[in-house]
Amino acid sequence: MAVERFLQPHASSWMANDGENVDIAMSTRIRLARNLNNFKFPYAFTEDEALKVDKEISAVLLDKGNELDYTFSHISIEELAELQKEILVEKHLISPYLINSHHSGSVLLSDNEELSIMVNEEDHLRIQSLQSGFQLQQAYKIANELDSLLEKNLSYAFHEKHGYLTSCPTNVGTGMRASVMLHLPALTMSHQIQRIIPAISRLGMVVRGIYGEGSEALGNVYQISNQLTLGKSEYEILQDLENMTEQIIQQERKAREAIALNSPIVLEDRIYRSLGTLTHSRLLTTEEAATCLSDVRLGIDLKMIQDVDMSILNELMIFMQPAFLQQYADKPLQPKERDFARAKLFRERLNKNGINSEGEDLA
Amino acid sequence: MICDQCGERSASVIVKQQQQGQIVERNLCHICAAENHSINIAFEQDPLAIHQLLSNWFPNAQASINPVRKEIATCPSCGFTFSKFLRIGKFGCASCYDAFSPQLNEIFKRFHNGNIEHTGKIPASYGTTLKIKKEIEELRKQMQISIQGEHFEEAARLRDEVKVLSAKLEGGIQDGS
Repeated sequence: MAVERFLQPHASSWMANDGENVDIAMSTRIRLARNLNNFKFPYAFTEDEALKVDKEISAVLLDKGNELDYTFSHISIEELAELQKEILVEKHLISPYLINSHHSGSVLLSDNEELSIMVNEEDHLRIQSLQSGFQLQQAYKIANELDSLLEKNLSYAFHEKHGYLTSCPTNVGTGMRASVMLHLPALTMSHQIQRIIPAISRLGMVVRGIYGEGSEALGNVYQISNQLTLGKSEYEILQDLENMTEQIIQQERKAREAIALNSPIVLEDRIYRSLGTLTHSRLLTTEEAATCLSDVRLGIDLKMIQDVDMSILNELMIFMQPAFLQQYADKPLQPKERDFARAKLFRERLNKNGINSEGEDLA
Repeated sequence: MICDQCGERSASVIVKQQQQGQIVERNLCHICAAENHSINIAFEQDPLAIHQLLSNWFPNAQASINPVRKEIATCPSCGFTFSKFLRIGKFGCASCYDAFSPQLNEIFKRFHNGNIEHTGKIPASYGTTLKIKKEIEELRKQMQISIQGEHFEEAARLRDEVKVLSAKLEGGIQDGS
Protein backbone atom coordinates (compact mmCIF):
# COMPACT_ATOMS: atom_id res chain seq x y z
CA MET A 1 0.00 0.00 0.00
CA ALA A 2 1.19 3.48 -0.91
CA VAL A 3 0.99 4.72 2.65
CA GLU A 4 3.55 2.32 4.14
CA ARG A 5 6.65 4.36 3.34
CA PHE A 6 5.18 7.41 5.11
CA LEU A 7 4.47 5.50 8.32
CA GLN A 8 8.06 4.45 8.94
CA PRO A 9 9.87 6.16 11.78
CA HIS A 10 12.37 7.74 9.45
CA ALA A 11 12.80 11.48 9.55
CA SER A 12 11.10 13.67 6.96
CA SER A 13 13.57 15.99 5.26
CA TRP A 14 12.07 19.01 7.07
CA MET A 15 13.03 17.43 10.41
CA ALA A 16 16.70 17.59 9.43
CA ASN A 17 18.97 19.91 11.32
CA ASP A 18 19.80 22.30 8.54
CA GLY A 19 18.55 25.63 7.28
CA GLU A 20 19.16 29.08 8.66
CA ASN A 21 19.01 29.76 12.41
CA VAL A 22 18.11 26.13 12.92
CA ASP A 23 19.19 26.23 16.57
CA ILE A 24 16.11 28.36 17.31
CA ALA A 25 13.87 28.06 14.25
CA MET A 26 13.04 24.37 13.98
CA SER A 27 10.86 24.27 10.88
CA THR A 28 8.93 26.44 8.44
CA ARG A 29 5.53 25.81 6.89
CA ILE A 30 3.49 27.48 4.16
CA ARG A 31 -0.15 26.58 3.67
CA LEU A 32 -2.26 27.72 0.71
CA ALA A 33 -6.05 27.23 0.79
CA ARG A 34 -7.76 26.87 -2.58
CA ASN A 35 -11.18 25.83 -3.90
CA LEU A 36 -12.35 24.72 -7.31
CA ASN A 37 -14.80 26.87 -9.22
CA ASN A 38 -17.52 24.43 -10.18
CA PHE A 39 -18.11 22.66 -6.89
CA LYS A 40 -19.67 23.71 -3.60
CA PHE A 41 -17.21 24.05 -0.72
CA PRO A 42 -16.77 21.12 1.70
CA TYR A 43 -19.30 22.49 4.23
CA ALA A 44 -22.04 22.29 1.60
CA PHE A 45 -21.01 19.75 -1.02
CA THR A 46 -22.37 16.25 -1.56
CA GLU A 47 -20.36 13.05 -1.29
CA ASP A 48 -20.61 12.77 -5.06
CA GLU A 49 -18.99 16.18 -5.47
CA ALA A 50 -16.32 15.26 -2.91
CA LEU A 51 -15.33 12.25 -4.99
CA LYS A 52 -15.23 14.31 -8.19
CA VAL A 53 -13.06 16.99 -6.55
CA ASP A 54 -10.67 14.32 -5.32
CA LYS A 55 -10.52 12.78 -8.78
CA GLU A 56 -9.85 16.08 -10.58
CA ILE A 57 -7.11 17.19 -8.22
CA SER A 58 -5.41 13.80 -7.98
CA ALA A 59 -5.40 13.37 -11.74
CA VAL A 60 -3.47 16.62 -12.19
CA LEU A 61 -0.92 15.89 -9.47
CA LEU A 62 -0.30 12.27 -10.37
CA ASP A 63 -0.03 13.19 -14.02
CA LYS A 64 1.81 16.52 -13.95
CA GLY A 65 3.68 16.41 -10.63
CA ASN A 66 6.83 15.31 -12.43
CA GLU A 67 6.93 18.70 -14.24
CA LEU A 68 8.15 19.99 -10.88
CA ASP A 69 10.29 16.93 -10.18
CA TYR A 70 7.92 15.56 -7.56
CA THR A 71 6.44 12.12 -7.42
CA PHE A 72 3.20 12.04 -5.46
CA SER A 73 1.46 9.18 -3.71
CA HIS A 74 -2.32 9.40 -3.40
CA ILE A 75 -3.70 8.14 -0.08
CA SER A 76 -7.44 7.91 0.58
CA ILE A 77 -8.14 8.66 4.21
CA GLU A 78 -10.99 6.17 4.59
CA GLU A 79 -8.74 3.33 3.45
CA LEU A 80 -6.38 3.88 6.38
CA ALA A 81 -6.49 2.14 9.74
CA GLU A 82 -7.03 4.41 12.78
CA LEU A 83 -3.43 4.10 13.91
CA GLN A 84 -2.13 4.93 10.42
CA LYS A 85 -4.24 8.09 10.32
CA GLU A 86 -2.90 9.16 13.71
CA ILE A 87 0.68 8.55 12.65
CA LEU A 88 0.26 10.83 9.64
CA VAL A 89 -1.19 13.48 11.97
CA GLU A 90 1.69 13.10 14.41
CA LYS A 91 4.11 13.50 11.52
CA HIS A 92 2.27 16.74 10.59
CA LEU A 93 1.53 15.38 7.12
CA ILE A 94 -2.25 15.65 7.54
CA SER A 95 -4.49 17.60 9.92
CA PRO A 96 -6.75 16.16 12.63
CA TYR A 97 -9.61 17.89 10.80
CA LEU A 98 -9.07 15.78 7.67
CA ILE A 99 -9.42 12.47 9.51
CA ASN A 100 -12.61 13.62 11.29
CA SER A 101 -14.33 14.84 8.13
CA HIS A 102 -17.38 12.87 7.03
CA HIS A 103 -16.61 13.35 3.34
CA SER A 104 -14.16 11.45 1.19
CA GLY A 105 -10.82 13.10 1.60
CA SER A 106 -7.31 12.23 0.64
CA VAL A 107 -3.76 13.40 0.85
CA LEU A 108 -1.11 13.53 -1.84
CA LEU A 109 2.38 13.28 -0.41
CA SER A 110 5.64 13.94 -2.18
CA ASP A 111 8.25 11.25 -1.71
CA ASN A 112 10.48 13.54 0.36
CA GLU A 113 7.50 14.56 2.58
CA GLU A 114 8.11 18.27 1.91
CA LEU A 115 4.79 18.67 0.13
CA SER A 116 1.45 17.52 1.42
CA ILE A 117 -1.72 18.35 -0.48
CA MET A 118 -4.88 17.63 1.47
CA VAL A 119 -8.05 17.23 -0.58
CA ASN A 120 -11.47 18.02 0.92
CA GLU A 121 -10.27 19.29 4.24
CA GLU A 122 -11.98 22.58 5.14
CA ASP A 123 -11.25 23.68 1.56
CA HIS A 124 -11.00 21.55 -1.57
CA LEU A 125 -7.24 22.02 -1.53
CA ARG A 126 -4.76 22.66 1.23
CA ILE A 127 -1.26 22.86 -0.20
CA GLN A 128 1.41 22.54 2.46
CA SER A 129 5.10 23.02 2.01
CA LEU A 130 7.43 22.08 4.87
CA GLN A 131 11.10 23.02 5.26
CA SER A 132 13.59 22.59 8.06
CA GLY A 133 14.89 25.67 9.86
CA PHE A 134 13.90 29.23 8.96
CA GLN A 135 13.19 29.12 5.22
CA LEU A 136 10.05 31.11 4.48
CA GLN A 137 11.03 32.12 0.95
CA GLN A 138 12.08 28.62 -0.05
CA ALA A 139 8.94 27.02 1.42
CA TYR A 140 6.77 29.60 -0.38
CA LYS A 141 8.60 29.12 -3.67
CA ILE A 142 7.81 25.41 -3.61
CA ALA A 143 4.16 25.91 -2.60
CA ASN A 144 3.71 28.65 -5.20
CA GLU A 145 5.14 26.58 -8.04
CA LEU A 146 2.80 23.75 -7.21
CA ASP A 147 -0.12 26.20 -6.98
CA SER A 148 0.71 27.62 -10.42
CA LEU A 149 0.88 24.13 -11.89
CA LEU A 150 -2.55 23.32 -10.43
CA GLU A 151 -4.18 26.56 -11.60
CA LYS A 152 -3.06 25.87 -15.15
CA ASN A 153 -5.02 22.63 -15.08
CA LEU A 154 -7.92 23.43 -12.73
CA SER A 155 -10.34 26.32 -12.45
CA TYR A 156 -9.96 28.00 -9.04
CA ALA A 157 -12.65 29.93 -7.18
CA PHE A 158 -11.24 33.46 -7.39
CA HIS A 159 -12.90 36.83 -6.86
CA GLU A 160 -11.68 40.08 -8.38
CA LYS A 161 -11.96 41.98 -5.15
CA HIS A 162 -11.56 39.33 -2.46
CA GLY A 163 -8.99 37.02 -4.09
CA TYR A 164 -8.91 33.27 -3.50
CA LEU A 165 -12.22 32.22 -1.98
CA THR A 166 -12.13 29.95 1.06
CA SER A 167 -14.63 28.32 3.41
CA CYS A 168 -13.49 30.45 6.32
CA PRO A 169 -13.55 34.26 6.17
CA THR A 170 -10.20 34.31 8.00
CA ASN A 171 -8.40 32.73 5.02
CA VAL A 172 -9.88 34.65 2.08
CA GLY A 173 -7.50 36.64 -0.14
CA THR A 174 -4.10 35.03 -0.39
CA GLY A 175 -5.35 31.86 1.34
CA MET A 176 -1.86 31.75 2.81
CA ARG A 177 -0.80 30.89 6.33
CA ALA A 178 2.97 31.05 6.80
CA SER A 179 4.45 29.83 10.05
CA VAL A 180 7.77 29.20 11.76
CA MET A 181 8.24 26.87 14.70
CA LEU A 182 10.52 28.40 17.30
CA HIS A 183 12.28 26.93 20.31
CA LEU A 184 12.33 29.72 22.91
CA PRO A 185 13.52 28.34 26.26
CA ALA A 186 15.34 31.47 27.44
CA LEU A 187 12.49 33.86 26.63
CA THR A 188 10.17 31.48 28.47
CA MET A 189 12.43 31.08 31.55
CA SER A 190 12.82 34.84 31.83
CA HIS A 191 9.04 35.38 31.32
CA GLN A 192 9.73 37.79 28.45
CA ILE A 193 7.56 35.71 26.14
CA GLN A 194 4.47 36.92 27.99
CA ARG A 195 5.29 40.47 26.91
CA ILE A 196 6.13 39.51 23.34
CA ILE A 197 2.98 37.52 22.53
CA PRO A 198 0.42 40.34 22.95
CA ALA A 199 2.71 42.85 21.19
CA ILE A 200 2.94 40.65 18.10
CA SER A 201 -0.79 40.08 17.91
CA ARG A 202 -1.27 43.80 17.36
CA LEU A 203 0.80 43.55 14.17
CA GLY A 204 -1.37 41.06 12.30
CA MET A 205 0.64 38.06 13.45
CA VAL A 206 0.08 35.50 16.16
CA VAL A 207 2.29 33.44 18.45
CA ARG A 208 0.94 30.27 19.98
CA GLY A 209 2.34 27.79 22.42
CA ILE A 210 2.00 24.13 21.75
CA TYR A 211 -1.08 23.91 24.00
CA GLY A 212 -2.95 26.35 21.83
CA GLU A 213 -3.63 29.81 23.15
CA GLY A 214 -1.57 31.58 25.76
CA SER A 215 1.93 31.26 27.00
CA GLU A 216 2.08 27.71 28.28
CA ALA A 217 4.12 25.97 25.65
CA LEU A 218 4.96 22.29 25.76
CA GLY A 219 8.73 21.94 25.36
CA ASN A 220 9.06 25.74 24.98
CA VAL A 221 8.08 25.42 21.32
CA TYR A 222 6.03 28.22 19.82
CA GLN A 223 4.56 28.84 16.42
CA ILE A 224 4.52 32.32 14.88
CA SER A 225 2.24 32.87 11.89
CA ASN A 226 0.48 35.59 9.92
CA GLN A 227 -3.12 36.35 10.83
CA LEU A 228 -4.07 38.58 7.89
CA THR A 229 -4.76 37.20 4.43
CA LEU A 230 -6.40 40.28 2.88
CA GLY A 231 -4.84 43.61 1.99
CA LYS A 232 -1.23 42.43 1.81
CA SER A 233 0.48 40.49 -0.95
CA GLU A 234 2.14 37.15 -0.26
CA TYR A 235 5.49 38.91 -0.55
CA GLU A 236 4.57 41.52 2.08
CA ILE A 237 3.16 38.91 4.44
CA LEU A 238 6.35 36.83 4.20
CA GLN A 239 8.51 39.93 4.63
CA ASP A 240 6.67 41.02 7.79
CA LEU A 241 6.78 37.55 9.27
CA GLU A 242 10.45 37.18 8.41
CA ASN A 243 11.33 40.49 10.09
CA MET A 244 9.34 39.65 13.19
CA THR A 245 10.82 36.15 13.44
CA GLU A 246 14.35 37.54 13.10
CA GLN A 247 13.67 39.93 15.96
CA ILE A 248 12.38 37.14 18.19
CA ILE A 249 15.42 34.99 17.35
CA GLN A 250 17.71 37.89 18.34
CA GLN A 251 15.81 38.38 21.59
CA GLU A 252 16.10 34.68 22.36
CA ARG A 253 19.87 34.80 21.73
CA LYS A 254 20.23 37.77 24.09
CA ALA A 255 18.17 36.01 26.76
CA ARG A 256 20.30 32.88 26.41
CA GLU A 257 23.50 34.89 26.84
CA ALA A 258 22.08 36.60 29.91
CA ILE A 259 21.08 33.34 31.58
CA ALA A 260 24.41 31.66 30.75
CA LEU A 261 26.22 34.67 32.20
CA ASN A 262 24.15 35.18 35.35
CA SER A 263 23.52 31.63 36.49
CA PRO A 264 25.82 29.23 34.63
CA ILE A 265 25.84 26.49 37.26
CA VAL A 266 22.07 26.46 37.72
CA LEU A 267 21.64 26.25 33.95
CA GLU A 268 24.24 23.52 33.54
CA ASP A 269 22.67 21.53 36.36
CA ARG A 270 19.25 21.77 34.77
CA ILE A 271 20.51 20.71 31.35
CA TYR A 272 22.43 17.68 32.64
CA ARG A 273 19.57 16.58 34.91
CA SER A 274 17.32 16.58 31.87
CA LEU A 275 19.83 14.62 29.81
CA GLY A 276 20.03 12.12 32.68
CA THR A 277 16.24 11.84 32.79
CA LEU A 278 15.99 11.13 29.07
CA THR A 279 18.77 8.55 29.08
CA HIS A 280 17.91 6.76 32.33
CA SER A 281 14.18 6.96 33.00
CA ARG A 282 11.87 3.99 32.97
CA LEU A 283 8.67 6.05 32.78
CA LEU A 284 8.41 9.26 30.77
CA THR A 285 5.25 11.30 30.27
CA THR A 286 4.87 13.47 27.17
CA GLU A 287 5.18 16.59 29.34
CA GLU A 288 8.37 15.51 31.07
CA ALA A 289 9.94 14.29 27.85
CA ALA A 290 9.12 17.57 26.09
CA THR A 291 10.55 19.65 28.94
CA CYS A 292 13.76 17.59 29.06
CA LEU A 293 14.11 17.65 25.27
CA SER A 294 13.96 21.43 25.43
CA ASP A 295 16.73 21.56 28.05
CA VAL A 296 18.98 19.14 26.15
CA ARG A 297 18.42 21.06 22.92
CA LEU A 298 19.50 24.24 24.71
CA GLY A 299 22.52 22.38 26.10
CA ILE A 300 23.59 21.42 22.57
CA ASP A 301 23.07 25.00 21.31
CA LEU A 302 25.24 26.33 24.17
CA LYS A 303 27.92 23.69 23.41
CA MET A 304 27.58 22.17 26.87
CA ILE A 305 26.50 18.86 25.37
CA GLN A 306 28.66 17.70 22.48
CA ASP A 307 27.80 14.08 21.89
CA VAL A 308 24.08 14.22 21.07
CA ASP A 309 22.95 14.79 17.52
CA MET A 310 20.28 17.51 17.24
CA SER A 311 18.45 15.77 14.41
CA ILE A 312 17.78 12.83 16.73
CA LEU A 313 16.03 15.20 19.13
CA ASN A 314 13.87 16.50 16.27
CA GLU A 315 12.86 12.98 15.40
CA LEU A 316 12.13 12.08 19.02
CA MET A 317 9.72 15.04 19.29
CA ILE A 318 7.65 13.31 16.61
CA PHE A 319 8.19 9.66 17.45
CA MET A 320 7.43 9.97 21.18
CA GLN A 321 3.75 10.59 20.40
CA PRO A 322 1.11 7.94 21.19
CA ALA A 323 0.44 6.50 17.70
CA PHE A 324 4.13 6.19 16.83
CA LEU A 325 4.83 4.53 20.19
CA GLN A 326 2.10 2.00 19.55
CA GLN A 327 3.45 1.22 16.12
CA TYR A 328 6.94 0.89 17.60
CA ALA A 329 5.62 -1.49 20.27
CA ASP A 330 3.45 -3.19 17.65
CA LYS A 331 0.40 -3.26 19.97
CA PRO A 332 -2.14 -0.89 21.56
CA LEU A 333 -0.77 0.73 24.72
CA GLN A 334 -2.53 2.19 27.76
CA PRO A 335 -1.22 5.59 28.95
CA LYS A 336 1.06 4.06 31.61
CA GLU A 337 2.40 1.56 29.12
CA ARG A 338 3.09 4.40 26.71
CA ASP A 339 5.20 6.15 29.33
CA PHE A 340 7.24 2.99 29.66
CA ALA A 341 7.58 2.59 25.88
CA ARG A 342 8.50 6.27 25.55
CA ALA A 343 11.29 5.92 28.13
CA LYS A 344 12.59 2.85 26.31
CA LEU A 345 12.55 4.72 23.00
CA PHE A 346 14.60 7.59 24.43
CA ARG A 347 17.16 5.26 26.01
CA GLU A 348 17.59 3.32 22.79
CA ARG A 349 17.80 6.30 20.47
CA LEU A 350 20.08 8.38 22.67
CA ASN A 351 22.36 5.56 23.79
CA LYS A 352 23.11 4.66 20.19
CA ASN A 353 24.96 7.93 20.19
CA GLY A 354 27.52 7.11 22.77
CA ILE A 355 25.74 8.11 25.97
CA ASN A 356 25.97 5.31 28.47
CA SER A 357 22.66 4.83 30.25
CA GLU A 358 24.21 2.37 32.72
CA GLY A 359 21.79 0.15 34.60
CA GLU A 360 19.99 -2.89 33.28
CA ASP A 361 17.53 -2.45 30.51
CA LEU A 362 14.39 -3.94 31.95
CA ALA A 363 12.53 -4.23 28.69
CA MET B 1 -19.28 11.16 36.33
CA ILE B 2 -16.96 8.61 34.73
CA CYS B 3 -14.26 9.62 32.23
CA ASP B 4 -15.44 9.34 28.60
CA GLN B 5 -12.11 7.96 27.49
CA CYS B 6 -10.88 5.37 29.98
CA GLY B 7 -14.27 4.61 31.53
CA GLU B 8 -12.50 3.97 34.85
CA ARG B 9 -11.53 7.11 36.73
CA SER B 10 -13.96 9.87 37.62
CA ALA B 11 -14.06 12.81 35.24
CA SER B 12 -12.61 16.06 36.50
CA VAL B 13 -12.06 18.08 33.33
CA ILE B 14 -14.44 19.17 30.58
CA VAL B 15 -12.59 19.36 27.29
CA LYS B 16 -14.30 21.42 24.61
CA GLN B 17 -13.17 20.94 21.05
CA GLN B 18 -14.42 22.49 17.87
CA GLN B 19 -15.14 19.87 15.25
CA GLN B 20 -16.79 20.66 11.96
CA GLY B 21 -18.06 23.95 13.29
CA GLN B 22 -19.64 22.37 16.34
CA ILE B 23 -18.40 22.34 19.90
CA VAL B 24 -17.92 18.82 21.17
CA GLU B 25 -17.70 18.40 24.92
CA ARG B 26 -15.99 15.49 26.57
CA ASN B 27 -15.72 14.72 30.26
CA LEU B 28 -12.27 13.41 31.04
CA CYS B 29 -10.26 12.44 34.09
CA HIS B 30 -7.05 14.39 34.70
CA ILE B 31 -4.90 11.60 33.26
CA CYS B 32 -6.79 11.23 29.97
CA ALA B 33 -7.05 15.01 29.68
CA ALA B 34 -3.26 15.27 29.83
CA GLU B 35 -2.94 12.50 27.25
CA ASN B 36 -5.23 14.46 24.99
CA HIS B 37 -2.94 17.42 24.83
CA SER B 38 -1.85 16.82 21.31
CA ILE B 39 1.62 18.16 20.65
CA ASN B 40 0.62 18.79 17.10
CA ILE B 41 0.53 22.49 16.37
CA ALA B 42 1.52 22.40 12.75
CA PHE B 43 -2.14 22.77 11.90
CA GLU B 44 -3.87 25.84 13.06
CA GLN B 45 -7.14 25.29 14.82
CA ASP B 46 -9.61 28.09 14.46
CA PRO B 47 -7.65 30.70 16.39
CA LEU B 48 -10.85 31.82 18.01
CA ALA B 49 -14.21 30.23 17.59
CA ILE B 50 -15.08 32.19 14.49
CA HIS B 51 -18.81 31.67 14.66
CA GLN B 52 -18.76 33.04 18.21
CA LEU B 53 -17.00 36.19 17.05
CA LEU B 54 -19.47 36.56 14.22
CA SER B 55 -22.50 36.24 16.46
CA ASN B 56 -20.98 38.76 18.87
CA TRP B 57 -20.53 41.22 16.03
CA PHE B 58 -23.99 40.62 14.55
CA PRO B 59 -26.19 39.97 17.57
CA ASN B 60 -29.30 41.08 15.68
CA ALA B 61 -28.63 39.33 12.41
CA GLN B 62 -32.04 37.71 12.48
CA ALA B 63 -33.81 40.94 13.44
CA SER B 64 -32.03 42.94 10.77
CA ILE B 65 -33.61 40.89 8.02
CA ASN B 66 -36.31 43.05 6.53
CA PRO B 67 -39.55 41.53 7.82
CA VAL B 68 -41.76 43.39 5.38
CA ARG B 69 -40.03 42.18 2.21
CA LYS B 70 -39.49 38.79 3.86
CA GLU B 71 -36.07 38.62 2.29
CA ILE B 72 -33.42 36.49 3.84
CA ALA B 73 -30.08 36.63 2.12
CA THR B 74 -29.83 33.12 0.71
CA CYS B 75 -27.14 31.82 -1.59
CA PRO B 76 -28.80 30.64 -4.81
CA SER B 77 -26.09 28.08 -5.45
CA CYS B 78 -25.71 26.17 -2.17
CA GLY B 79 -28.74 27.33 -0.17
CA PHE B 80 -26.74 28.73 2.76
CA THR B 81 -28.54 31.63 4.45
CA PHE B 82 -26.65 34.54 5.98
CA SER B 83 -27.71 33.41 9.43
CA LYS B 84 -26.34 29.92 8.77
CA PHE B 85 -23.06 31.54 7.70
CA LEU B 86 -23.00 33.45 11.00
CA ARG B 87 -23.86 30.32 12.98
CA ILE B 88 -21.13 28.05 11.60
CA GLY B 89 -18.71 30.79 10.52
CA LYS B 90 -18.08 29.23 7.08
CA PHE B 91 -19.16 29.82 3.49
CA GLY B 92 -20.91 27.05 1.54
CA CYS B 93 -19.61 27.96 -1.90
CA ALA B 94 -18.06 30.69 -4.03
CA SER B 95 -21.47 32.28 -4.76
CA CYS B 96 -22.01 32.95 -1.02
CA TYR B 97 -19.45 35.74 -1.38
CA ASP B 98 -21.80 37.54 -3.79
CA ALA B 99 -25.03 36.58 -2.04
CA PHE B 100 -23.85 37.98 1.33
CA SER B 101 -21.80 40.74 -0.23
CA PRO B 102 -23.46 43.75 1.52
CA GLN B 103 -22.49 42.40 4.95
CA LEU B 104 -19.08 40.98 4.11
CA ASN B 105 -16.94 44.11 4.02
CA GLU B 106 -17.71 44.69 7.69
CA ILE B 107 -16.72 41.12 8.53
CA PHE B 108 -13.51 41.14 6.48
CA LYS B 109 -12.48 44.46 8.01
CA ARG B 110 -12.69 42.98 11.48
CA PHE B 111 -10.75 39.82 10.66
CA HIS B 112 -8.13 41.51 8.50
CA ASN B 113 -7.28 44.79 10.26
CA GLY B 114 -9.56 46.93 8.11
CA ASN B 115 -8.66 45.34 4.77
CA ILE B 116 -11.25 44.10 2.28
CA GLU B 117 -9.28 43.81 -0.96
CA HIS B 118 -6.91 41.13 -2.19
CA THR B 119 -3.62 42.55 -3.46
CA GLY B 120 -1.66 39.34 -3.90
CA LYS B 121 -1.34 36.60 -6.49
CA ILE B 122 -3.87 36.40 -9.33
CA PRO B 123 -4.33 33.12 -11.23
CA ALA B 124 -2.87 33.47 -14.73
CA SER B 125 -6.23 32.86 -16.45
CA TYR B 126 -8.03 35.47 -14.29
CA GLY B 127 -5.12 37.81 -14.81
CA THR B 128 -5.91 38.41 -18.47
CA THR B 129 -9.65 38.73 -17.74
CA LEU B 130 -9.00 41.31 -15.04
CA LYS B 131 -6.69 43.26 -17.31
CA ILE B 132 -9.30 43.39 -20.09
CA LYS B 133 -12.00 44.50 -17.65
CA LYS B 134 -9.78 47.32 -16.43
CA GLU B 135 -9.10 48.37 -20.06
CA ILE B 136 -12.82 48.41 -20.85
CA GLU B 137 -13.49 50.59 -17.81
CA GLU B 138 -10.84 53.02 -18.96
CA LEU B 139 -12.16 53.12 -22.56
CA ARG B 140 -15.71 53.78 -21.32
CA LYS B 141 -14.45 56.71 -19.26
CA GLN B 142 -12.71 58.15 -22.32
CA MET B 143 -15.88 57.57 -24.36
CA GLN B 144 -17.94 59.64 -21.89
CA ILE B 145 -15.42 62.45 -22.12
CA SER B 146 -15.54 62.32 -25.94
CA ILE B 147 -19.34 62.46 -25.94
CA GLN B 148 -19.37 65.42 -23.56
CA GLY B 149 -16.87 67.17 -25.83
CA GLU B 150 -19.09 66.26 -28.81
CA HIS B 151 -16.25 64.32 -30.47
CA PHE B 152 -18.66 61.71 -31.76
CA GLU B 153 -16.28 60.07 -34.24
CA GLU B 154 -13.77 59.46 -31.48
CA ALA B 155 -16.56 58.13 -29.24
CA ALA B 156 -17.68 55.69 -31.93
CA ARG B 157 -14.12 54.45 -32.36
CA LEU B 158 -13.84 53.87 -28.61
CA ARG B 159 -17.24 52.10 -28.57
CA ASP B 160 -15.97 49.69 -31.23
CA GLU B 161 -12.86 49.01 -29.20
CA VAL B 162 -14.99 48.21 -26.18
CA LYS B 163 -17.04 45.83 -28.34
CA VAL B 164 -13.93 43.97 -29.47
CA LEU B 165 -12.63 43.65 -25.91
CA SER B 166 -16.03 42.54 -24.56
CA ALA B 167 -16.21 39.79 -27.17
CA LYS B 168 -12.72 38.69 -26.19
CA LEU B 169 -13.75 38.71 -22.53
CA GLU B 170 -16.79 36.50 -23.15
CA GLY B 171 -14.69 34.11 -25.19
CA GLY B 172 -12.07 34.03 -22.44
CA ILE B 173 -14.60 33.34 -19.73
CA GLN B 174 -16.06 30.49 -21.72
CA ASP B 175 -12.62 29.01 -22.13
CA GLY B 176 -11.95 29.26 -18.44
CA SER B 177 -15.16 27.63 -17.25
